[in-house]
Amino acid sequence: MLGANWHYVLLLFLWITPHVLLAGVAGILWKRCLYRELPCFTAFVLFEIAEFILLFTLRFVPGVTKEQYAYIFSATLLLSIALRLGVIDEVSKDLFRESQFLKVSASRLLQCVAVALLGMGVILAIYSPGDNSARWHSGVFVVNRGAAMVQCGLILSLFVFSRFLGLSWRRPAFGITLGLGILTSMDLATSALRAEFSGEVIRDFLNLLLTGASSVCVLLWIRYLLAPEVEPASLTLISGDEVKAWNTELQQLVRD
Amino acid sequence: MIAAWTLVAIAFCALGIVGYFALRSHKRRPDVEKAGQALQSLDIEAFRNLVDSAEEDFLREHLSPRKFREVQRQRAWAALLYAWEAGRAASALAQLAQTAQRSSDPEIVASGVQLAENAFRLRLQSLGACLYLLGGVVWPDLDTRSVPPLVDHYDRAAATMRRLGRLSSGAHGLARSRSA
Repeated sequence: MLGANWHYVLLLFLWITPHVLLAGVAGILWKRCLYRELPCFTAFVLFEIAEFILLFTLRFVPGVTKEQYAYIFSATLLLSIALRLGVIDEVSKDLFRESQFLKVSASRLLQCVAVALLGMGVILAIYSPGDNSARWHSGVFVVNRGAAMVQCGLILSLFVFSRFLGLSWRRPAFGITLGLGILTSMDLATSALRAEFSGEVIRDFLNLLLTGASSVCVLLWIRYLLAPEVEPASLTLISGDEVKAWNTELQQLVRD
Repeated sequence: MIAAWTLVAIAFCALGIVGYFALRSHKRRPDVEKAGQALQSLDIEAFRNLVDSAEEDFLREHLSPRKFREVQRQRAWAALLYAWEAGRAASALAQLAQTAQRSSDPEIVASGVQLAENAFRLRLQSLGACLYLLGGVVWPDLDTRSVPPLVDHYDRAAATMRRLGRLSSGAHGLARSRSA
């Protein structure tokens, strides 16, 4: 009995903590005027806080049935997926900010992935097994798993692409991507296991794991949003003519 | 069951890669010397020889098909390493260009923007060349006369690379990058 209570308290604590920390993230975004540069991320943070307040309230309102709670949870989950994709799009634009050529290519790639994800979600929702009442709900979880996979892939692509092309990250964008990378990979792992193991104990354990990862993710966001921007390495004693000369030679090489 | 555990393995691999990038991100600094050294390390004549179609025809005529495939595979692999190094140099130049973009001098900023664009394009071209040459490693009988632009127009590109190499050697004594 004591063990069950301890587990329940831990679950509540890990459910509440990341959202309290998210309020801190919202405060930092407001104080440092980062909401102008990161509107989608700001919307995501505010939505997550509002979603938590709604679901937490519904969890303890006696008149709300499990079915009603599941529908609201699914609707907020889908909105959260959309916002996360928006955040990935935002950080990719920030990463490719210094090149028009890369900005266009990356946006096109992300749009293609978003369309593919939408198509996949619709197909899985229609053809997933089960009775009519459960079909929509289980379809949402299938879409969530697919979305986690796509988001995880997109984030890894951003890291690999930045390394490959020698692109420099700005600290807030890097921190957001890093946190989201941890969150989506944990989301992918837990959703895959959730589909395989339906036991109560495993489900609670996976919930603990995911909420714990959320706390780590939000702490990373706070750390990177508060950290001052690293002053770029400066080149000394190199003239503007020299940069121009490098550019002229490289331009010729690219055109050849 | 296997699919679920595969997804878990993918997720943990992704987590590992994200962690790797998190740790490595603070150690990267633009280095003009690295770019210069990478360009200078390229032996232009050797690379030209490796992708020369006349040389390939000669080898095809004088070697047995089996031996030709073996030699051709080695040539393609060596050329691939050259193209990869050229790409790495482009990446280092891109970093240099991004640093130049933060200069207080508007002219340097403008040059930095152009340099970055060209460096990104060269990096992607080198990737195309690497993929093509990788095809040459797997299928040594592949005709190298249909090579992508970076290798196809190599004569002119090689001359440019030589000039870039000279520039980089000049920059060695002048440019120093320091982290703030």
